[in-house]
Amino acid sequence: MAGAAQWRSKIQKVSTKIQKNTYISAISNGLMALMPILILGAIFSLINALKLEPYQNFLESTGLKDYTSIPATVTTDVIALYAVFSIAYNFATQHKQQGFSAGILALMSFLLVTPKGLLDDGATKAFGYSWLGAKGLFVAIILALVVGKIYTFVLEKKFYIKMPKGVPPTVEKSFAALTPGFIVAILMLIFSAIFAATKYGNMHEFVFSIIQLPLTSLGGTWWAMLICIFVIHLLWFFGVHGTLVVYSVVGPIWVALGLENLDAYQRGVEGTHIIGSPFFPVYVLIGGAGATLGLIIAMLFAKSTRYKTLGKLAIVPSLIGVNEPVIFGMPLVLNVRFMIPFIVTPLVSSGLAILLTTIGVLPVLHGIQVPLGIPVLVNGWMNGGWRVSAFQLVMIAASFLIYYPFFKKADAEALEQEQQAEAAAVSKEKGGVPNAQPVS
Amino acid sequence: MKKILLACAGGFSTSMLVERMKESARVKGIEVVIDAVAESDIADQTPFDIIMLGPQMGHAEGDLAAEYPNIPVTTIDMMDYGMMDGDKVLGTAIELMEKGA
Repeated sequence: MAGAAQWRSKIQKVSTKIQKNTYISAISNGLMALMPILILGAIFSLINALKLEPYQNFLESTGLKDYTSIPATVTTDVIALYAVFSIAYNFATQHKQQGFSAGILALMSFLLVTPKGLLDDGATKAFGYSWLGAKGLFVAIILALVVGKIYTFVLEKKFYIKMPKGVPPTVEKSFAALTPGFIVAILMLIFSAIFAATKYGNMHEFVFSIIQLPLTSLGGTWWAMLICIFVIHLLWFFGVHGTLVVYSVVGPIWVALGLENLDAYQRGVEGTHIIGSPFFPVYVLIGGAGATLGLIIAMLFAKSTRYKTLGKLAIVPSLIGVNEPVIFGMPLVLNVRFMIPFIVTPLVSSGLAILLTTIGVLPVLHGIQVPLGIPVLVNGWMNGGWRVSAFQLVMIAASFLIYYPFFKKADAEALEQEQQAEAAAVSKEKGGVPNAQPVS
Repeated sequence: MKKILLACAGGFSTSMLVERMKESARVKGIEVVIDAVAESDIADQTPFDIIMLGPQMGHAEGDLAAEYPNIPVTTIDMMDYGMMDGDKVLGTAIELMEKGA
């Protein structure tokens, strides 16, 4: 076990480095902060696009459709606008600088490089939606980091016009943000000019085809997903929050894919990306990391008091994907016996989901961002109807079957220990020593 | 009044433990404030007297200890965490707070 503990501390160090990297954590915290908007957009997409004919007729005939379609256009359809502000804000605050100024400058930069056009009337200037949503997400991320970096660098090095003594600090502050403002504005104009000279025409087109498309098609492959799941569970085995670490790296890719699916769903067609942000909560985390819901159900029928108690404790939070009690109480961390089912179960579940979606038995998930707190089966139904829920149910049974042989042995051992402890207590009592154990 | 702060990734599983610790404090008549937050939100909290991390966030202990040199920073024991043993974790918290950083 000493070797394992050593590994554990090494892995923890690397994980911390990844997660604490200011660029990575600015992206993941920045996107995390958009959750309310993403969820709102997703729920309204569901309300707007739910495929029930009488319901849709009702929306049309009452004129409600005009309203139910609005939220998506100001949430997920313009997510890049929110993201660029949020990520730059997070980056700056991590460097102990004003987040707001950085965020607003990043937003301006984003709009500077986004193509603008004229409407048919020849007078109305307009931004198209095409680059403001999921397709513009990577430009948003890149610009947020570039602007965040320039902003914090300028302020840290104090490369700004200093005010004479006696000028109120608020004035000095607004002037301080002016220098990075000019720098990024000029830089964005240069970017625009450079990209205009290429065959891409603008920065968005360039980033989308050179970075976003290759990255998302790579991240959207079945084998990339399975590798991520494997790494996540290996990290959990060593007691590190694997989901958090891996998600901070691949999260933006999955979010972009999920949002493209959601956009398709809004337009009434099926999305094209099997892998996307909802894939994880719906198909992998059935009961939490390790897809442990079946194991917990097995625990409810445990013979040993220890596991029965733990099962009762863990079942409700596990339904919404929180399973730390089992991970640490079983424990599954550094427990070689359970290593195989812990890694295999989520792989089986996601592998089957990918296969069944490919051959059309399961629908492509709608891309609805399901917040933590929505229970299993419901999150599946929200993302693809009853077929997904039914599959989840089958996977809970599969989890039970895969874990059971391993659990049976652990349970028997725990029972034996309990019986031995009890027998020892009884013989002690018979020996005249009062049972001094306080009842807790 | 002393304030105990528990932190994990999203503040979800720690909040379960917080409820149990509060219960234990009530039974024992100990006056204490206990709260659970996401690890990234620790800095936003009002002053607190100890940080206790969920074991899955144990890797953050070193950084936090450096950031808050005047209070104890600890990682909750895996077993106590798993069994959501409010009694024991509260006991540990009080013991550590008395000892200081």
